[in-house]
Amino acid sequence: MHCRNFRPSSLTRRDMLQQSACGFGAVALSALLAENASAAKADYNPTNPLAPKKPHYTPKAKNVIFLYMDGGPSQVDTFDYKPLLKKFNGQDPRKAIGKLEPTQFDNIGKVMQSPWTFKQHGESGAWVSDLFPHIAKVADDLTFIKSMTSKFPEHTAANYFLHTGSGLQGRPSMGAWVGYGLGTENQNLPGFVVLNGGLIPPGGLDNFNSGYLPAAYQGSVFNPGNTPVANIKPAGSNPELQRRKLDLMRQLDLSSKDRFAGEEQIESAILNYETAFRMQAAVPDLMDLSGESDTVKKMYGLESDFNQTKIFGRQCLLARRLVERGVRFIELTCPGGNGDRWDQHNNLVDGHGKNCKTVDQPIAALIMDLKKLGLLDETLVIWTGEFGRTPFAQGGNGRDHNPFGFTTWMAGGGVKPGISYGRTDDWGYKAIENKVEIHDLHATMLHLLGIDHTKSTFRFSSRDMRLTDVHGHILKDILA
Amino acid sequence: MVNPAKFLLAISFLCSGFSRLAAAGEFAPEHLDFFEKKIRPVLNEHCYKCHSVSSKKLKASLYLDSRTGILKGGDTGPALVPGDPEKSLLIEVIRYKDTDMEMPPKSKLPDAVIADFETWVKNGAAWPEEEGPSDGGNALAFDLEKRKSEHWCWKPLAPAPRTPDFIDQLIGEKLKEAKLRPAPHADPVTLLRRLAFDLTGLPPTVEEIEAFKKAAADNLDSAIEATVDRLLASPHFGERWGRHWLDLMRYAESHGHEFDYPIHNAHHYRDYVIRALNADVPYDTFVAEHIAGDLLPEPRLNPEDQTNESIIATGFWYLGEAVHSPTDVRKDEADRIDNMVDTFSKSFLGLSVACARCHDHKFDAISTADYYALTGYLQSTRRNEHKQDPGKKIASGIAELEKIAASGNQRIKGKGPTGTPSSPPATPEGLLLPTNSRWFTSGHAFGDSPVPALNWIPVKNTITEHAVFDSGRYGDKLHGVLRTPTFEITGDRVHLYVKGTAEVRLTIDGHFMQVFNGLLFGGTRKNIKTGDKWQWVTLNSKDIAQKSGHQAYLEIIDSGPGAIAVKAVTTSHEIPNIEEILPPNLRARELEAPIAAELSGLSDSAKKISNAIPSPSATILSVTDGTPENDHIHIRGSHKNLGREVPRRFLTALGGEEITPPENSSGRLELAEQVISRENPLTARVAANRIWHHLFGRGIVPTVADFGPMGIPPSHPKLLDSLAASLIEGRWSRKKLIRQIVLSKTYRQSATPHPDLSPNYLADTDPENIFLHKAPVRRLQAEAIRDSMLAISGRLDPKLYGTPVPVHLTSFMQGRGRPKSGPLDGAGRRSIYTSIRRNFLPPMMLAFDMPSPFSSVARRTVSNVPAQALTLMNDPFVVSESKRWADSTANIKDDKARIETMFLQAFAHPPTPEQLKTTLAWIQSHPSQQNAWQDFAHSLWNTKEFIFLN
Repeated sequence: MHCRNFRPSSLTRRDMLQQSACGFGAVALSALLAENASAAKADYNPTNPLAPKKPHYTPKAKNVIFLYMDGGPSQVDTFDYKPLLKKFNGQDPRKAIGKLEPTQFDNIGKVMQSPWTFKQHGESGAWVSDLFPHIAKVADDLTFIKSMTSKFPEHTAANYFLHTGSGLQGRPSMGAWVGYGLGTENQNLPGFVVLNGGLIPPGGLDNFNSGYLPAAYQGSVFNPGNTPVANIKPAGSNPELQRRKLDLMRQLDLSSKDRFAGEEQIESAILNYETAFRMQAAVPDLMDLSGESDTVKKMYGLESDFNQTKIFGRQCLLARRLVERGVRFIELTCPGGNGDRWDQHNNLVDGHGKNCKTVDQPIAALIMDLKKLGLLDETLVIWTGEFGRTPFAQGGNGRDHNPFGFTTWMAGGGVKPGISYGRTDDWGYKAIENKVEIHDLHATMLHLLGIDHTKSTFRFSSRDMRLTDVHGHILKDILA
Repeated sequence: MVNPAKFLLAISFLCSGFSRLAAAGEFAPEHLDFFEKKIRPVLNEHCYKCHSVSSKKLKASLYLDSRTGILKGGDTGPALVPGDPEKSLLIEVIRYKDTDMEMPPKSKLPDAVIADFETWVKNGAAWPEEEGPSDGGNALAFDLEKRKSEHWCWKPLAPAPRTPDFIDQLIGEKLKEAKLRPAPHADPVTLLRRLAFDLTGLPPTVEEIEAFKKAAADNLDSAIEATVDRLLASPHFGERWGRHWLDLMRYAESHGHEFDYPIHNAHHYRDYVIRALNADVPYDTFVAEHIAGDLLPEPRLNPEDQTNESIIATGFWYLGEAVHSPTDVRKDEADRIDNMVDTFSKSFLGLSVACARCHDHKFDAISTADYYALTGYLQSTRRNEHKQDPGKKIASGIAELEKIAASGNQRIKGKGPTGTPSSPPATPEGLLLPTNSRWFTSGHAFGDSPVPALNWIPVKNTITEHAVFDSGRYGDKLHGVLRTPTFEITGDRVHLYVKGTAEVRLTIDGHFMQVFNGLLFGGTRKNIKTGDKWQWVTLNSKDIAQKSGHQAYLEIIDSGPGAIAVKAVTTSHEIPNIEEILPPNLRARELEAPIAAELSGLSDSAKKISNAIPSPSATILSVTDGTPENDHIHIRGSHKNLGREVPRRFLTALGGEEITPPENSSGRLELAEQVISRENPLTARVAANRIWHHLFGRGIVPTVADFGPMGIPPSHPKLLDSLAASLIEGRWSRKKLIRQIVLSKTYRQSATPHPDLSPNYLADTDPENIFLHKAPVRRLQAEAIRDSMLAISGRLDPKLYGTPVPVHLTSFMQGRGRPKSGPLDGAGRRSIYTSIRRNFLPPMMLAFDMPSPFSSVARRTVSNVPAQALTLMNDPFVVSESKRWADSTANIKDDKARIETMFLQAFAHPPTPEQLKTTLAWIQSHPSQQNAWQDFAHSLWNTKEFIFLN
């Protein structure tokens, strides 16, 4: 059927129904068709760029929750236990460790043992420090990567690198690539949602942008508070009046269709209004937590006496609700108020203490809740910073940036639970076994979603661009 | 002394001896055994996936599956030196000492295995005699000439013989071939609306519509022609077409990244573009000004105030994003230059040269050497803040002062032999004196060159003891910047021998962001104030110590009041002894008093002239030449892995290799000449194609910024070349070419196809309207949508140019460097005047596809997303302007007449009787009469007709 067919006559009711395959009803229809469709190419469909698309192969995960620990949490104080640090505590790292890479601030202090105690947890015996008492309880559900590396020791470039696979500004974020590759299941909500806890990471909103991909794929930042999305609140207080305006608009649109000779782009612009109108209802519905039980709210930390835990708890709960609504890629940023993010160049004990308190209970609740609801199997949860921190002090009581080896963990959708992959040296300084690059993380994430990272390409600047550029290996050893 | 001939002989003997020794079959059996047991299995397991003939994709051109392959090595040279593990790259990389190169890439080998490799190399890297696997020389050789000869875009222009209606003829030919027919003419007001938006980005006013209808009733053709001429002459033409150009130039007013630091004075560039388009500056001049406007012997002057107009264009080089405090400052420079080369090549040549940064272009006739030949121009160029001199009043004041100086210096010469201003006994390494190296000045204060020793400075009435750069030579109030030649940082500190007041900045590897934020530790920037004393001033920073071996230059900035004199600069740890470098000049001291007495009258008149010199009128972001430098090929794009030096030159495929690069300048001027040369078919083709693209929504080459083999070939090659030739012959006038196109029948078609053509036939034959069987339906750009609302509501302030209006911030626009919010209605100014801060781009513009200014964009995407509907439905700007619009029509008492006027304003045509009926009923039944008209206005702006052109 040719959607471009020109119908010069004015629309009858029958025409409307017939045309709905190309017009108003197209989304729902294509959503249904996608379930059984055989076409596997992630083509860009300008009429409905968000229509679900068939993956390259059967996916293990449908959605991603990306817990972004902005600023760079310290691996040696959280999950990467290094007893040697205690032995050499207070010594010159240049003597103890040997040649050091240039750090950002080049203010090299002494080897610094972790101020926290490590214990093994669960059947897997995973090491977790007492910064994360709640996460320790779900340790058997987690897949640790202890040998993550980045290419950039500064926040902005490292943030872009983690989010877009390039250290430069203006490239599409991984959430946009996921949308481009898979479309979205819920046409009333964006496919890529950033739940902003209050801190937009260095590098700004471009961490969530669509870059050279079509704008439809860019991350929608949901702010905390009553109006999470720009312009989502109907102008004017009376919804009837808005409906009335849209009715007039629609009549005028239909009566001027002849002027545009049945152009497809006019149809899709009309369709757009239907989506926007539904979004106005879907977003408040998402944000309304009154239907959640007190037990659930309490579990997520919504009643915590620490305000940041409340904020992050609400984000985690919203993340689950977004997964339930079929949103593909959900990223959480951290709440403010805990020092300069996770970036503890000094006052490690205070800063990391607060940051962990903020995320610990909500994250554990999210894992447990997803599991209980049977959603963890199809949801990939990723926890990571843009880099880790040095095992030696920066000056006195903080740690500098360390991209040479840090810890990331995943859970759920298609990864092997209760294992630890890769290793840093005895200092927790550099990855030396099964080194993992950000590109590998991206490749593996796309793989779990059913996308071949080498085949999901977009022509820009005369090149077939990829999230992983020319890099990336799937981490086969961690796949379930 | 060694006899050289004998020495050589000895060497060659040694070499041949060694190679015989090393030849296969000559190794001790235990060493071979060791290799088979300890080495080969490891190579096999850990290396051959990427470094053998069986590799699916060979990495770094390195084969580790034969001894020859290992000795020959890959991109970074031989992988091992038999007998010397410490000099062997292979050993270095498996030791995991340098994070830039660690092998195997995923995990370090066990220490015992590394020790085995060391032993193996030490013992001569034994390898049995065997049929070596072929060294895989099957990679397709990069043959630039062959590629050039096979691709259309490099071929000279081949215009068809041109009749006045060549456009319609050439379009008609193709239509005929496809058995299509052109659509009938669009009705006149539809055409008027199309023209108004295409040429000025604004809707026609009711008065303009009425006047046009009247004239059209008389004589349609001449009415159209008059309208086109009126619109082309409108100052809004430059705003509309200027915005197209700004997309290409990734124009922004801040640098993005973490703090989004401002690009001061960027808006002068935006205004330059608008003025140039309105004045119809020939496109070749326009391009040359961009590349080398600072070097033109006779720059174009602003007709209003006689300031240098050409130099403003060069600011485009520095409009890109920029990072503060990069840890790897050399990589940062390479990235920034990459963005410059990318913008340059896409915008002026329609080529993606930046693809050749890491390897020869995969498909195009562009080599990596071509890429680094271009980066050399930018290595030789520096960022500069040019001070405008209206009417050359500053320059003529200086000329008068120079005349006075000359006559004074005659008197000194008259005093007999001047003695020898003792030249320094020996110049320590790294010492820069005004006399021993080429320094650079910009602005006016320092003049063009140093004041030589034994020279009289009129305004000071003194004699110079040594050659000196002195920003006080024409008085204290002038602005000027003195820059040293580029030098290598060798010591951990930089010292200057100076007197006076100035700001000093050390620019390392071109990193200019220390203006906002020192590299990491500060200390590369300093305010100097020595009073009336000559002394050494030291820049002392960890940044300098850390950057030993990097290239740098020093900027000494006199920004108005006060002055600075500079005699020497050096990079070292110790402060040199000035007496040794510049021994006192006794003759100067001896002459000082008598000359001062004799010339005091002349000096007084010099002071008067100096006081009357005006201040510069504006500061312009621009570039200037620095020390000429060639770049080296960065192997696989890495600045840490340098290959051969490439002379600065234009692309090989466009004859670049035939022209020798200049020695004493960056060579940008010569580059500009080659870009606009008639020998180069791309510049005109690309420009003509872009104009076509803006008028039809699709270029003849639809990949507007890529004419290479990865792009899409032209749908109408003859037409493209004819348009290009027409552009050149019309003295590169863009307005003439636009006029020619919009007056064609092709442009004038209706958006409804010829009635004889069935929809099914069209869907099969020309579904994308590539043959132009009808006018394309196009959505308005973001700016045109917002500007239309302002124009229709009556809020539009038609003022041109000036400082940007701060962007209105919403609660969603958060992050570091958040500026102050501007007014919701942007002060009623056109969108091009809203400030463009990279991290705080206006959401309404983004929703409608204004590109993020990170790289050059020649073709905007046209997306269709719910955010657009939400914006038009709920954005407070749209809502408040619709109220303003409704209010502005309140004086029309008759409802029907009011509806008709509002339809005309929004769509340029009155409602159909049916629409009028529907609308009237809708308004009269509105439950809230006081909101009825505002809601109606708001509904009109939400119709598709409002944001689409037919």
